[in-house]
Amino acid sequence: MDIRKAVTGTSYELLVSGRVDGLGANRLEEEILGAIRAGATAIYVNLSEATFLCSAGLRVLLQYWRQMKNSQRLLQATRPSAEVDSVLTTCGFREMLVEKV
Amino acid sequence: MVEVLLTNQPKERQRLAALLETFAHEQRLPAAVLQAADLALEEHLTNVMSYGYTGAGRHEILVRLQVKEGWLLVEVSDDGEAFNPLERPPADLSLPLEQRPIGGLGVHLMRQYMDDLAYERVAGRNVLRMKKRVSRYLEAGCQPDQ
Repeated sequence: MDIRKAVTGTSYELLVSGRVDGLGANRLEEEILGAIRAGATAIYVNLSEATFLCSAGLRVLLQYWRQMKNSQRLLQATRPSAEVDSVLTTCGFREMLVEKV
Repeated sequence: MVEVLLTNQPKERQRLAALLETFAHEQRLPAAVLQAADLALEEHLTNVMSYGYTGAGRHEILVRLQVKEGWLLVEVSDDGEAFNPLERPPADLSLPLEQRPIGGLGVHLMRQYMDDLAYERVAGRNVLRMKKRVSRYLEAGCQPDQ
């Protein structure tokens, strides 16, 4: 898995490619925590190039979606690939967590 | 049938994922079947490796893959603490995300993506058998890359 980061002011986009499996989820969490520590007010997790998402990745998204929301900041998943979109939908995450286009 | 012997190290899951992809290619399995098995194995092996063993000892986990009579059959056998994932209560998706428990979605995904799950404890080992119907996708005209 690879994560590329684009920063515009306090808005962070994390472009995730490859497998968000257990190890990938740990890596994603490190990147999100790094953005939060750096003062991000919005974090967009771009999943267009992610080919796999397991429950460990969902846990990370949910945990930091809540944390950001509770401090009047934003975390959203964006542009999920078909495989990832299926997992988000199956777990009832899509409506609330995925950016509405 | 393919048998894969893993140790209880997290990186072994990635080795299995690569072997599963090769197996799916050789068997010309539709992509949806590969995705389901990949996800179910990742979830189950994470549970086994994270919660099945006390201490840092080395353990072996046996995974069997087979395509038979229109079904993909996946069997995982481990010598960890007795754990039947099918006894986990269903995830409550009616709760808003703010109130959802952080965990519990792994078994939900296994149930949703595979067609049949069965557990038994045999001679001190957990045995989980998972089935995914392949013929349904082939009858629908899906190609291996769909």
